[in-house]
Amino acid sequence: MNRKLSRRHWIETTAAAAGALSLPGVLNAQALPTPTPRKGNIKQSVARWCYQKMALDDLCRAGAEMGLKAIDLLGVNEWDVPRKYGLICAMGYAGGGDIGSALNRLENHDKIVQAFTENIPLAAKMGVVNVITFSGVRKGMPDDQGADNCIVGLNRLKKFAEDHGVTICMELLNSKLNHPDYMCDHTAWGVDVVRAVNSPHVKLLYDIYHMQIMEGDLVRTIQTNIDWIGHFHTGGVPGRHELDNTQEVQWDGVMRGIVASKFQGYVAHEFIPVRDPMTSLRQAVDLCDV
Amino acid sequence: MPSLSRRALLETSLVAAGALALPAEAPDPAPVVRKGRIKQAVCRGPYGKIPLEEFCRACADMGLKGIDLLQPADWEVPRKYGLICTMGYAGGGSISDGLNRTENHARIEAAFRENIPLAAKHGVPNVITFSGNRRGMPDDEGAENCIRALTRLKPIAEDNGVTICMELLNSKLMHPDYMADHTAWGVSVMRAVNSPHVKLLYDAFHMQIMEGDLVRTVQTNKDWIGHFHTGGVPGRHELDNRQEVQWDGLMRGIVATGFQGYVAHEFSPTRDPLTSLRQAVDLCDV
Repeated sequence: MNRKLSRRHWIETTAAAAGALSLPGVLNAQALPTPTPRKGNIKQSVARWCYQKMALDDLCRAGAEMGLKAIDLLGVNEWDVPRKYGLICAMGYAGGGDIGSALNRLENHDKIVQAFTENIPLAAKMGVVNVITFSGVRKGMPDDQGADNCIVGLNRLKKFAEDHGVTICMELLNSKLNHPDYMCDHTAWGVDVVRAVNSPHVKLLYDIYHMQIMEGDLVRTIQTNIDWIGHFHTGGVPGRHELDNTQEVQWDGVMRGIVASKFQGYVAHEFIPVRDPMTSLRQAVDLCDV
Repeated sequence: MPSLSRRALLETSLVAAGALALPAEAPDPAPVVRKGRIKQAVCRGPYGKIPLEEFCRACADMGLKGIDLLQPADWEVPRKYGLICTMGYAGGGSISDGLNRTENHARIEAAFRENIPLAAKHGVPNVITFSGNRRGMPDDEGAENCIRALTRLKPIAEDNGVTICMELLNSKLMHPDYMADHTAWGVSVMRAVNSPHVKLLYDAFHMQIMEGDLVRTVQTNKDWIGHFHTGGVPGRHELDNRQEVQWDGLMRGIVATGFQGYVAHEFSPTRDPLTSLRQAVDLCDV
């Protein structure tokens, strides 16, 4: 933190000096922080909701400075904010339903198709590479029927996603602890769905935190199914806090497994910090920069 | 590596001592001091090329407390080095043929009646057993058979203060069709037998492949776990930064349960075996 503070102080001092010399361009140029250089093998992002006490602009600025490439889970009206800081929104909310109610029920399809028809062109325009969707909960529906319904819904949507170069990602979540009864709770089920849809723009959001709770076997599962994975989330297990040494996943090991799969998308941190949020985020970014 | 320099130092001192005509015999190097919150052991198998005596000496030197998976004939060897055999083979069946088949029960009982008193005599706190494979048998029938057998065996274990441990293994990759492949199934068996001397061997390598959710599972079921094994996932090699389990994090989770047993390393080293072992021991010494 000291380094950052002193660099900012230095920039402000420099800018003041530049102003005194009447060089008007300098102040704007210095407004963007210098990003920490990253290896770039893993493009990292961060979920907005874990830092709600910060203004989005502040999160974007801090994210850019620590070498993040993107912000996850922004609403349509926020998609342009990260671009001011040289970032993008890597996973947008575009009306793809919610965790409890989404594509496994046919009665939700029209609403989701309508929202995606409106928002996916906007996503393309604002450089948002992925939009999120969900299976919804079971409520007694058999998994195969839910899969059939999701396939129907995604087949309606895929051409539109392909035409705009935006990827629809269905999230895998744990039903054991955090989201009881959520249908898309195992990789195999999700892969069956996206394999049947068979589009380069319809994939899974493999949430590593959730899948460690449901399945384990992370690297092998990721490598076996990498063609069907469009995005990753992180979070310490158990607890969904810092990616520190009190939890059971070795994140740099998982990242090496992802790099080996030639994955080109984003890995977004989605944990709730219990210590200073920006310090914890930077430590996670350092750890995953393999 | 510190032991090398300590050894070098010791030798230098001894040479000097020899020059002063003091007794020349080299004492064993002092073991690395460990925090002791996790008592660590190592499985004999992956180090089979090293003679057992030499292996025990190296293990004692790096602060291990025991050697896993020795036959009764070898149980006394670790004791010469201040170690014990922490998990003995005592005739508890094999991975594919174990307690889920009633026709195996008499044989296993005879072996345990002979070997468990020996285990007690040699300070071996645990002996291993297995469920065996399914071969079409439903899981509930296999559980009932295991419960019946373990209920007959538990007085032998209790009377001798030795714990019978049934191992959890992955059926997804390495032991297809093995029945004790999920913690819940194993715990249901242990709970029904309900003895402080009949527990699970929770192999964290195998359970990471089958289930994940390690710390929570271990903490929830701590009363039914008697022993742990390690191994990098995937691959069962070093516990290094190329695999997905953060072993020190898991060890902290185990310490938090108040677990008093042993954690034995069971990985196949791809680099210098004793260096890799020492690194694992350092990592898990939380």
